[in-house]
This record gives sequence, C-alpha cells and structure tokens, in this order.
Amino acid sequence: MDQIAYLDIILRLTIWFLLTSDFSLANIIIGVSIAFLLPRSYTSSGALQDWLRVLWEIIVAIPQAYVEALQIMVRPHNEEEIVRERVKPRRTPGLVFLDIFLITFTPKTIVLKYHEQGWYEVHRVRRRKKR
Amino acid sequence: MIEFFSYSCIVIGIIFWFWGTLPLIGKRSVLFKLHSLSVADTLGSMSIVFGLLLKIPSEWPLLLLAIITLAIWNTVLGYVLAYCSSGGGEQ
Repeated sequence: MDQIAYLDIILRLTIWFLLTSDFSLANIIIGVSIAFLLPRSYTSSGALQDWLRVLWEIIVAIPQAYVEALQIMVRPHNEEEIVRERVKPRRTPGLVFLDIFLITFTPKTIVLKYHEQGWYEVHRVRRRKKR
Repeated sequence: MIEFFSYSCIVIGIIFWFWGTLPLIGKRSVLFKLHSLSVADTLGSMSIVFGLLLKIPSEWPLLLLAIITLAIWNTVLGYVLAYCSSGGGEQ
C-alpha cells in the first residue's frame, strides 16, 4: 500500500468520525472496516509531497479567499478577463481536481475548463482594464 | 467575548449573503455572477456556520463537517456551472 492510500483511509475515517462523533469500540470497528471495504481507484496517484503541498495550499487559501472577498466588496471589480494558466507537471487526475478546487475557491478566479494539453482556462475579475 | 465573536461571524456571513445575492438580478454575465455567488454562498455560509460553531461548541463534529462539505460542494458546483456556461468549446 503506498502513502496516498494512507491519506485516503485517513480521509474516510475523519469523515466517518465527524459524522458519527462516537469513539466506542463498535463504532471504531465499523468505521475502519467501511474505510477498507469502500472501493478505491487504482489509477496513478502522484507523489506524496505534491498532495501535502496542495492540502497545505488549501488551508492557506481560506484566509486568502476572505481577503479577496473583502477586496471585491470594497472596490468594485468590474472588468472580466479569461486567462490561461499552465498546469504544473506530473499532475494526476486527483491533483488536477484539487488544483481546480483551489483556483475556484477564491472569489476572484473561476476555472472554466481544463484542457488536457496542460492548460486551465481561468475566468478572473479585475478592477480596471490593462493599458 | 465568545458571544461577540460568534455574532459578528454570523452578521458578516449575512452581509456576504446579501452582497452576493443581489447582483443576481443585474445584467452582468453568468460568470461575473458566479464570482459574487462564491462570496455569498461559500464564504458567507462558512462564516455563519463558524459563528454557530463558536456558539455551540458541543456540536463541533457536525458543524465542522458542514463547513468542509459547504466548501467542497459550493466550489465544485461553481466550477460545473462555469464549465456548462462556456458553450461547446473547442471540440
């Protein structure tokens, strides 16, 4: 079992215990067996460092999202533009999903499309036109 | 003190809600409205639930789960709407 599989199991157990909030022995046994019984994909899963970095970036993105929200609210951002962002190398489907989540989570940017050639199409609001 | 923080989180969330929802009536593009909706739905709701979390800490597992699922589902649905709004694309 590789390291990503551990992350996967930890995620499942976290959701299970948050949902049931019960640490009795029976509940722990049920949770662990469900976590192992649920099917998991066997596609390539990427490097552990990449996963940890993205997870960290998501935590950092939460305050950043609030800052961006305040910026949009205080000063109207009326210009829209579509830019292309390059996908980082060695991205597996799971990591691409988290990347899209990360970009879309902040209020100023939304991913429109993911091109398999290695681009995200990002829609962004800006304060004023570039000259 | 905690009461104060909790109520200010809830009030901030409600302000976010109204700020993001009112532009829906306007004439901007769908994508522009999605930007303000992500302020309202995701960040506003997260702030309200966080205020509740400060107020009733005994329910923390469910409220934390609510915050996580709010963040994931709102963001992913925003992406799906943006994807659908952008026409046929290059295919």
